[in-house]
Amino acid sequence: MPETTPVVAEDPEALADFTARVRAGEQIEAGEWMPEEYRFEALRLINMHANSEIMGALPEREWIPRAPSLARKMALTAKVQDEVGHGMLLYRVAETLGRSRDEMIAELVAGRARFHNVFHYPAETWADVAIIQVFVDGAAMQTQGALRSCSYAPYSRVLKRICYEEDFHIQLGLDVWRALAEGTPRQRAMLQDALCRWWTPIMHFFGMPDRVSPHTEKMLAWRIKVKSNEELRQQFLRKFVPIILEYGLDVPDPNLRWVEDEQRYVYTEPDWEELRRVGRNGGPKSAERLALRQRFHAQHAWVREAMSRWRAARADGAVA
Amino acid sequence: MPDARAAIADPAVRAAYREWLLRIADDELVIGHRHSEWTGFGPDIESDVAMSSIAQEELGHGRAWYEQIAADDGGDVDRLAFGRAPREYRHAALLEQENDGWEYSIVRLVLYEAFEVARLRLVAASGHEPAAGLAQTLSREERYHGLFADTWLTRLAGAPDGLERVQAALDRAWPDALGLFESTAADDVLRRAGVLPSSPGALRETWVDTVRPVLEQCGLAVPPSAGAREGGRRGVHTAAFEPLLVQLTEVWKSDPEARW
Repeated sequence: MPETTPVVAEDPEALADFTARVRAGEQIEAGEWMPEEYRFEALRLINMHANSEIMGALPEREWIPRAPSLARKMALTAKVQDEVGHGMLLYRVAETLGRSRDEMIAELVAGRARFHNVFHYPAETWADVAIIQVFVDGAAMQTQGALRSCSYAPYSRVLKRICYEEDFHIQLGLDVWRALAEGTPRQRAMLQDALCRWWTPIMHFFGMPDRVSPHTEKMLAWRIKVKSNEELRQQFLRKFVPIILEYGLDVPDPNLRWVEDEQRYVYTEPDWEELRRVGRNGGPKSAERLALRQRFHAQHAWVREAMSRWRAARADGAVA
Repeated sequence: MPDARAAIADPAVRAAYREWLLRIADDELVIGHRHSEWTGFGPDIESDVAMSSIAQEELGHGRAWYEQIAADDGGDVDRLAFGRAPREYRHAALLEQENDGWEYSIVRLVLYEAFEVARLRLVAASGHEPAAGLAQTLSREERYHGLFADTWLTRLAGAPDGLERVQAALDRAWPDALGLFESTAADDVLRRAGVLPSSPGALRETWVDTVRPVLEQCGLAVPPSAGAREGGRRGVHTAAFEPLLVQLTEVWKSDPEARW
């Protein structure tokens, strides 16, 4: 997918009408007229969300074979399955904006597409499962929860279901978190270590503080973006810092503190250069995970071929 | 969980029945583990999701059977699932083999599900509660696994070079599948005591009658009926099992007393 917005001269009347509808809180259905720039931005957002679900399955799935009880093994399989299922729903929504799933998947596998920063990092121990389910999914919940009121109706509907499931993942993660936080000294140390390793990627998750640019303003006006990056990061910190403190663990940022007057957290500015690098698929696990995807994609080329032949034969009535 | 063996007075029969339940539980655990390795890597998103469901159900079935055993042993299910030496596992070789391509996993699913349905029917028919009731409940889920497997088999075998690939997978899986029916002294004890109304040999005939038409309809040649790879039911496993067990138990074994 091209990185820059297409420049199209839109019919001014249609554009004004569209903008007024969205401003009034209306949602746009698949197939309705929309400015090319809106289509482009909505597609970019949803495509990246879909990619992130598919790539996000990888770090957690590494712990399915090693999950330390039958119940945890089943629950983790179900959890990763949900994420893969979200990918399916989201690619379906992206398709309504004009790209095929095959095309999007091929681009992802080739390493030419983006996926969320947190999925470029390793999941080193069982405690990472707790951190991912509570904090990474918790971070995603802030962004996706806000986007439930976005202007593209099919995305908004799918997000309602996704958030419902994500909320359940957080509960599941809290159960793993509690077991470790209240467990042996070794388990607690494992949890603290995982939290420290994940802190920066989680702070990065919401993106850089937004510059006031005409682009951002347009995204907000079109409700493809609903809250600013910093608003979402603060919302996350308000909900999740208390969980860390409640269990007596250390917040991995010595400068983090609540400022009562400003009703917000101050924190150490994370290294934004790292986020840029990771965003270009230059994270610690980007190459390895993409290589895994490529391996299976190539291995299954004949299976996809078998499926499309079967479908074609069925369409021709050759197969009952 | 009600005690599966409480009704059996004779200690030798009780031990044999434990052995039999352990086979079922271990088969389900090990195949559930292998299926779950597809989570995130299925050939398409839909099949990825479907295989994850099958994995969860098999693991859940394994747990249900372990619960029956644990009720009599007085232990806990995770200790049964994770805490034994390799020789104490009773699953057949078929279930522990690596997922050697989607076609192998599908062929294995076809063969195992047909076996599982026949075995559950046998347990249900035994009238020996609570196992019989449990077998009946689980059969409902296994039916869908079989449908999924048979549908995929047809599609794969219908691809241009699909038949050769699927045939190769079938040839590889077949001797291991025959090992599902390995019989030990426990089988004789249970038959004499009237706990199970059938023998592994008879079960195998039922199974062959089920899988043969499915395979042949896809143009596959059913391999010879000799050369079963046995040992699993006696705790003798192939090279594929040890690495599986190491991975399965890695975290649990790091502290078996901890709550995870």
